[in-house]
Amino acid sequence: MKILVTAKRVTDPDMKIKVKPDGTGIVTDGMNYKINPFCEIAVEEALRIREKGNQAEIVVVGIGPKEAATELRTALAMGADRAILVLIDKYYDSTVVAKILKKIVEEEKPDLILTGKQAVDDDSNQASQMLAALLGYPQACFASKIELTDGGKKAKVTREVDGGLETIQVELPAIVSADLRLNEPRYPTVPNILKAKKKPLKEVPVDSLGIDVTPKTEFVKMTEPPTRKAGIKVPDVATLVDKLKNESKVL
Amino acid sequence: MASNFSIDKKDIFFTLFDLFEVEKIYKDIPAFRDQTREDFEMILSEAANFATNTIAPINQPGDKNPVRFEKGEVIVPKEYLEAYKQFCENGWVATSGDPEFGGQGLPNGIHSSASEMFFAASIAFYMYPGLTMAAARLIKAYGTEEMKKKYVHRLYTGEWQGTMCLTEPSAGSAVGDLKATAKREKDHYLITGQKIFISAGEHNMTSNHIHLVLARVEGAPKGIKGVSLFLVPKFMVNDDGTLGARNDVECIGIEHKMGIKASATCTLSFGENGKCIGYLIGEENKGIQYMFMMMNEARMGVGLQGLACASAAYLEALKYAQERIQGTSIEDFKNADAPRIPIIKHPDVKKMLATMKAYTEGMRMLCYQASVFADLAENSLDPEIKEKNHGLLDLYTPIVKAYCSDMGFKVTELAVQVFGGYGYCSEYPVEQYLRDCKIASIYEGTNGIQAMDLLGRKISMKGGLLLMTFLNDFNVWCEENTNHPAFGELVKKLEATKNRLAEVSMKFAELSMGGDMAYPAFSATNYLHMFGDTVLGWLWVKAAIVAEKKLNELFAKKGIKTDEAKAKEIAENPDAAFYDGKIKTAHFFVNHLMTRTEWLAQSILSLDRSGLDINFIQ
Repeated sequence: MKILVTAKRVTDPDMKIKVKPDGTGIVTDGMNYKINPFCEIAVEEALRIREKGNQAEIVVVGIGPKEAATELRTALAMGADRAILVLIDKYYDSTVVAKILKKIVEEEKPDLILTGKQAVDDDSNQASQMLAALLGYPQACFASKIELTDGGKKAKVTREVDGGLETIQVELPAIVSADLRLNEPRYPTVPNILKAKKKPLKEVPVDSLGIDVTPKTEFVKMTEPPTRKAGIKVPDVATLVDKLKNESKVL
Repeated sequence: MASNFSIDKKDIFFTLFDLFEVEKIYKDIPAFRDQTREDFEMILSEAANFATNTIAPINQPGDKNPVRFEKGEVIVPKEYLEAYKQFCENGWVATSGDPEFGGQGLPNGIHSSASEMFFAASIAFYMYPGLTMAAARLIKAYGTEEMKKKYVHRLYTGEWQGTMCLTEPSAGSAVGDLKATAKREKDHYLITGQKIFISAGEHNMTSNHIHLVLARVEGAPKGIKGVSLFLVPKFMVNDDGTLGARNDVECIGIEHKMGIKASATCTLSFGENGKCIGYLIGEENKGIQYMFMMMNEARMGVGLQGLACASAAYLEALKYAQERIQGTSIEDFKNADAPRIPIIKHPDVKKMLATMKAYTEGMRMLCYQASVFADLAENSLDPEIKEKNHGLLDLYTPIVKAYCSDMGFKVTELAVQVFGGYGYCSEYPVEQYLRDCKIASIYEGTNGIQAMDLLGRKISMKGGLLLMTFLNDFNVWCEENTNHPAFGELVKKLEATKNRLAEVSMKFAELSMGGDMAYPAFSATNYLHMFGDTVLGWLWVKAAIVAEKKLNELFAKKGIKTDEAKAKEIAENPDAAFYDGKIKTAHFFVNHLMTRTEWLAQSILSLDRSGLDINFIQ
């Protein structure tokens, strides 16, 4: 079988993010990047499916600038077989991602598409669902357990939903997005890091895909969340109750 | 309080790739030609992840629940078992080992940098694989083909533990006094004797131990020239690689120590029943020569320990000083309502942090530089370069070991000071770094021995050639940079310090020619520190020159021209702040720390022997 996995380049979630004064984005000077943690879980799951004895080729896909190859190399060092990097250098949103991935899926014809449930930079949580819709494939989002059944024709997926777990079965090919508790990703080993650079990484300019990459959303402005104001001391309980009623209106 | 363990990847990358430009150096070495900066960065990033997420969290538990000794067995803290297994599986034991035997084939420079991170996360933990690697390399260099086949691979993977067994109760610094004996018998020897302070001598993380033991063959000459080296497995190894009978070597106790409490420091008894089998490595009576390979590598490793403790402690202190609020600004001293400020804004705290930064990053340059010497000494295709770097490595090894362990300890002490009362409490992480670091100035040849090695052996080696090579390079560099537009002043100060070092070195030569042994030995530690400060000064100015170039490139790229805009960029852009910080620290080091060389020089040149002549009474 063939498994397609996404690996998005995101800003290091452990770093402090600063918004540019003009609101056109974040300050990227001195910024570190990482593979999106949810994508990392998806890559790990693909490896585990293969290690369970399923013959599988694992293809990892990234979208972004040339530098996004670094995160694809990380996925290759973890154990993926080859990588595709779709080069795009302007603003794009989840709809564009879904359209690009659709095109890649049509070419690669994977049996299973594993994605991170969302990227930790923009937290959109849309691309996987949109991709499923565009392809007309079954989807199982927020997976915390994946089990191939029926000789690899179906997947039994446990999903984390509000208030509990839901187990559904989807026919392959399908899209499954990984949630936090699906697994704990491995570290790439030193020999695998050294092998990773010999694995193929294909760069594909987005224009060559022949799709419309006009985003459906428009980037308007980015601002920092308002800083919390210092608290005040109230003289008595009556004032406190009054403020809770009339100022914050929580009572 | 949870530890805020961190690794200064930015500085590590700057030192390797911008300052020493290792990628260019390794391009000329066939074994490393295929490796790119991208590979190195990825490997080091993963090393940083592993150190931070897997090793650092077991450092404090290992300190609170040290290794235990029960009925001849040594039991490591339980957290160690899983971490060690993962460490081995991920291929970190033999990063610089020969790929033919299962090593990863990376350059020493990269290995040192990864080692720094692992040591920073936990000296006690990384000592186990560190010693294994050194033992394996020794067997690979001097062992028979059969030994190589049998042992090296399984040491490189971390499946077995390697150790070095030198010390005996009355043979520590004076290793030539050792008493362990070896009796020839067919194809092997029977070893008898007791060894103490054997790190990793026994524990439950590996299925076998391979001890490298110094002992005296019957009838061998007295002293260091009668010492031979033996390979002693804990379990005999059959020809098919399976483990056979237990050899007659036993752990009879462990030490309870001030620091590195999760590292097993064992007393080993060899041949209690007269049946301890050992195999000779190389030739009889040449043991110390072979052991020196392992010792030199271990000395570099101990220098890295000093650097690593310093780095971990400095970064903890820096974070703490930025967060801890106490007192008001000195400018507001009359205003009781002035805002309370983080302690980093107090000039005295800033001085401590600047001192820590200058030594830590300076030691990093020193250690990595020595590792690059090692790479060129081992692998350069040009015999002249090979020999020159071999000499420089010989010269630098005692400095790396002793200077970095002393100054590393000094930095951990400052970190405790920055934390104030909390720094003295075991709830906070810095006091452990101080305790763990202290051993570095003692083991692998005390720092006193290192100073004697530098002054007594290295300086006079090959008729003073090593020192001459060093000074020549230094002179040429000073001449080239003395009119540097930004750093000419610093270069001139450096030049004066270098000349002072040469002057002091000449004085020692004069004294020893006059037959004076005691005074040079008395002053050797001062000399080593003077040497270390001077080298660090040189490295700092080199770093400042590179940083200034980088900073100007950054300004040019963004079209920043006015001083005001530059200051704004430094305030807002961490990359700009990094380079600017390098430049300022270089000034600080040369003007405030390197000046220590002058009092060291005055002390040495005073020729005052009163300290030697005191009649100490109780």
